[in-house]
Amino acid sequence: MKLGLGKIKDALKGGAEKNTGMEKEKGEKEKNQKKGKENYRIENSGRYPENGAKNHAEIDAENNEETEPERLEEVTMKIKTSEQQSEDKPRNESKCESKHESKHESKRESKQELVNEPVNGLLNGLVKETMVPANQTGTRKTGLIFFPAFDWAISPTHPEREERLLYTRDQIFEEGLMDLPQIAEYKPRLADYRDIARVHFCVPDIKAQATTPHLIAAGSCLVLADALMRGEVKNAFALVRPPGHHAMTVAHGNRGFCNINNEAILVEYLRKKYGIRRIAIVDTDVHHGDGTQEIFYNDPDVLFISFHQDGRTLYPGSGFMNELGGPKALGRTINIPLPPGTPDEGILYVLGALVLPILEDFKPELVLNSAGQDNHYTDPLANMRFSAQGYAKLNEKLAPDMAVLEGGYAIQSALPYVNTGIILAMAGLDYSCVKEPDFKPGMFVQAARDRQILEEVIATQLENWKNRDRLVETEIAKHGDFYRRKKQIFYDTDMIQEFQEETVRMCPDCQGYVTIDSHAHRSINDTRIFGVSIPIYACDRCQAEAGEEYRKRLNSPEYEYVYLQDKKADEYREYNMRTKQEISY
Amino acid sequence: MLIGIDVGGTTTDAVLIRNGEVYNTAKVPTEPANLLKSLLNALDKVSREVPPEQFERVVFSTTVITNLIAEGKTDRVALLLVPGPGVNPASYTFPGSFYLKGAMDYRGREIQPLDEAEVRETVSLIREQGFFSAAIVSKFGQRNPSHELRIEEILMELHPGCKVKLGHKVSGKLNFPRRVATSMLASATGERYQQFVEEIKKAMEERNIRAPVYILKADGGTLPIEKSVEFPVETIFSGPAASTIGALALTPEGQTSVVVDIGGTTTDLALILSGKPLIGSKGAKLGNFLTHARAFAVRSIAVGGDSIVRVRETDSGIRMVTIGPERAGPSYCMGGEEPTPTDALKVLGLIDIGDPERAKEAVASIAVCLGKSETETASRIVDMTAEMIEKAVREMFLEWEQEPAYRIWEVLQKKKERPENVVGIGGGAKGLISVVAEKLSAKPIIPEYSEVGNAIGAAVARPTLTLNLRIDTQQKVYSVAEEGEVVSLNSTNIGNFNKMRSEEAETLAAKLLGERADRFGISEYADEAEIANSEVFNVVEGWFTAGRIFDISMQIPAGLINEWKRREKA
Ligand SMILES: [Zn+2]
Ligand SMILES: [Zn+2]
Ligand SMILES: [Zn+2]
Repeated sequence: MKLGLGKIKDALKGGAEKNTGMEKEKGEKEKNQKKGKENYRIENSGRYPENGAKNHAEIDAENNEETEPERLEEVTMKIKTSEQQSEDKPRNESKCESKHESKHESKRESKQELVNEPVNGLLNGLVKETMVPANQTGTRKTGLIFFPAFDWAISPTHPEREERLLYTRDQIFEEGLMDLPQIAEYKPRLADYRDIARVHFCVPDIKAQATTPHLIAAGSCLVLADALMRGEVKNAFALVRPPGHHAMTVAHGNRGFCNINNEAILVEYLRKKYGIRRIAIVDTDVHHGDGTQEIFYNDPDVLFISFHQDGRTLYPGSGFMNELGGPKALGRTINIPLPPGTPDEGILYVLGALVLPILEDFKPELVLNSAGQDNHYTDPLANMRFSAQGYAKLNEKLAPDMAVLEGGYAIQSALPYVNTGIILAMAGLDYSCVKEPDFKPGMFVQAARDRQILEEVIATQLENWKNRDRLVETEIAKHGDFYRRKKQIFYDTDMIQEFQEETVRMCPDCQGYVTIDSHAHRSINDTRIFGVSIPIYACDRCQAEAGEEYRKRLNSPEYEYVYLQDKKADEYREYNMRTKQEISY
Repeated sequence: MLIGIDVGGTTTDAVLIRNGEVYNTAKVPTEPANLLKSLLNALDKVSREVPPEQFERVVFSTTVITNLIAEGKTDRVALLLVPGPGVNPASYTFPGSFYLKGAMDYRGREIQPLDEAEVRETVSLIREQGFFSAAIVSKFGQRNPSHELRIEEILMELHPGCKVKLGHKVSGKLNFPRRVATSMLASATGERYQQFVEEIKKAMEERNIRAPVYILKADGGTLPIEKSVEFPVETIFSGPAASTIGALALTPEGQTSVVVDIGGTTTDLALILSGKPLIGSKGAKLGNFLTHARAFAVRSIAVGGDSIVRVRETDSGIRMVTIGPERAGPSYCMGGEEPTPTDALKVLGLIDIGDPERAKEAVASIAVCLGKSETETASRIVDMTAEMIEKAVREMFLEWEQEPAYRIWEVLQKKKERPENVVGIGGGAKGLISVVAEKLSAKPIIPEYSEVGNAIGAAVARPTLTLNLRIDTQQKVYSVAEEGEVVSLNSTNIGNFNKMRSEEAETLAAKLLGERADRFGISEYADEAEIANSEVFNVVEGWFTAGRIFDISMQIPAGLINEWKRREKA
């Protein structure tokens, strides 16, 4: 056997280097690839080997040293016994015979047109005008940030703990996925406070809600967004924790393991930095993405579609079909409650018959997948029957521009396989051999009764989608200058009860500014805040009126904090009534 | 006395060190067809008139493995692979692969048993096909090697003459494709490498050299030559490692330097960050194969002192200078055919060697095309060459900063070092070093003996050793990635596994590292070991803590032997 190496002389010549993000143009790249001969070059990437710096993950894990076995503290999410299922007798065939056709579907039509637009140079970060994903068809890489936060947990035995992505790390590293030429691994960074302020009213301040791991998880999404918009990658997956899709505009504490909303921060960043307008978020987590829904409820430019186990049977108990969006955004929130026990077949059916047609019609510039993995048949917190193959197929068909990890707590029996499947599918690679040890094709069958429920859901939501403009018209006619709604929000992790009154300006020229009066009860503590939010594409009059609303509240002693979120001006303020200090981010 | 020899592509360099001082040096041409001869020539030349009993240590860095592979002098290897679920093995491109049923998961739990009948059939097949070398690698074999071991048994039973490498013994690190490649290369080169080692031992005996003989590894550490037979792939790229350790030995302690080794056609770059050579975060790449071999993060760029300088006209009619990547023999001023950066350096008076008239002639041929003066042209050529090196250095730093991070502290850690020194090693195109240094706002250093800096590096390098311990208290086992065995925790003196603390895990790691150092004959360096990473994970099942997983990495990092350090203190 010849090992197929070049002559030593050739080999010692330097050649094309690994994509360092320096090569931007396709032509350039191809040239380099041709040149890139076999050379005995050591991979350039290096790591500071001997910093001796030691990680302190053990601190958290060892707090509970004395009590054993340790009881998990209150988790108000529904619980089912779990994980051990993975230890059942394994009988699957791991050697797969059939070659799976896993060709990436061609990009959505709307995008094809955009691809031809000129790229506005490499001045990323400075470019303010509209930019579309550059040269997406030319790059074949999938951007990936794997940030397992091995040194962070909500608490030692909480589902959101250090161990969560440990086995996923083992699997994807052992598979050598990071070495694949189709995958470009990126380094996480911290999101700026401004990036958070663009979405949230954090009580008492951003620092209190967005700790370092949150900033890194959100920041990772932004790193990948930049890579996507610069055309370095064709799509991207932020395999990060902690998750975010239960976090709402006002952040008093942790809800459903979330403090800040990674997808929402990503959306507002993409809009601000790259001028993107129409974005679709498809929430494939088993739980209703109530946080994301709430944040974009009045925004007709963001289409939010959430699959989830029926809210009557699972946290957070929302996500019903009648939640369709605020008056001016009706039909831009599409909820798809699924009967417990829905397998791959059912979810893929809904995807094909409802989600993809709506997406095609909406023609978003970008599609984001809020990618929870708790629909899995072994997940301890829910009752669905989705498999790794199902997840891979879903991502292949949905072809999101970006996926962001949400929940998924079957950390041994599901996550290693599901994540491998998603990464391969997004990279356009063969995922046909990715299988859970106990998975057998055909082990879960859709019940006929459930199939009927799905058909009804699809029919109803297609109807709503079709009539969305008429629904908006009728609804607007019912309201005067303002639309008000009252909400009650419960923070399961932090045991906070919040009462809100939300007011939307029914502006004829834009989607209108929003104000939120929020009152939170936490044991004996009460906090009341007032927030004003100006949408990025607001009209000047709304911007001025909203500014006035903010200033008016600065003299209202009933509020402890008053916020101004001016996305149009990219200006964010927070006023502390007690200290009379205003900070801006 | 210490002897260091570096067998390079064109020359073989040797150095003899006495009392921490360079006592003698030698340079002989390398005969690629007979590396052993080149090596012994250099040895004989440098040690002439010194009685062999005075030698305390001999270290070689050699490209023998690289050459074997490049020249196709490798054995055919049958790969017996147990891939299990995951990436479709059909996408792998390893030659001679045979896929077997069976699977382990990430914690070493069997998820599919071996099909022994299939193993027997496959072994018969590889025997019929005339394979006499094999590698057996299973996915997660490092977490549970029982499939690999059973296949080996069957192989030995049915095909006893077959030489075999087991994946979990070759490397315990995560990354199955790299483990396959590394095992394959180890198996393919193992026998010839062993022959080479035998010949060296014989040659040493003939010369009455009784001092211990070491081979330099790509991570800058020395390995006793007998031990190296187990890890032939670790010896690839020992050349750049020798230069880097040489630069470390010849520059002030604790500083951040770029090591620049300008050759005829290529320039090799390496980084020393605050006195520590930068190791690549992943293994070395050998040809098309990504391996697990630990190596310095070096970069080779296609520009050197003898690169051809040309004038090219663009479509819009602009004439511009290009440098490399081709080379046509030596520089013009050294009797070659084509103008080169060395000629430009000569014209500017930045080097001593070469014929000044010929250098002028070479540069003039370029200057004419550009319509510029010779000095102007020479400056332009030197500047461009230095720019190419500068750009590569900046990219290396950038890549280091952009290394993926998996922990909060890694993200927060500010990686913002910039080179204080540009250290020229190897003696090629010395005049360029100061130009590169100026561009990087760093201090140029061309140490005394820089022409044999690589040989000095070999002579004064100390052993390196890594130990990656993984403990799974729920499974009640531990394993050392480098050793391959999965051992019961009952064999340790740890009482209650489930109450195990990080300190106990680290103590176990230190003990195992000491034992390993012993086996490598380097126990005097065991105290230099440090903990690079230590993590603990609670394994929670059914809402109770069912056990703990500890991941601990220890290492004796690359560095200098005490004999050399002594000299610095003196
Ligand atoms: Zn959902
Ligand atoms: Zn969820
Ligand atoms: Zn308006």
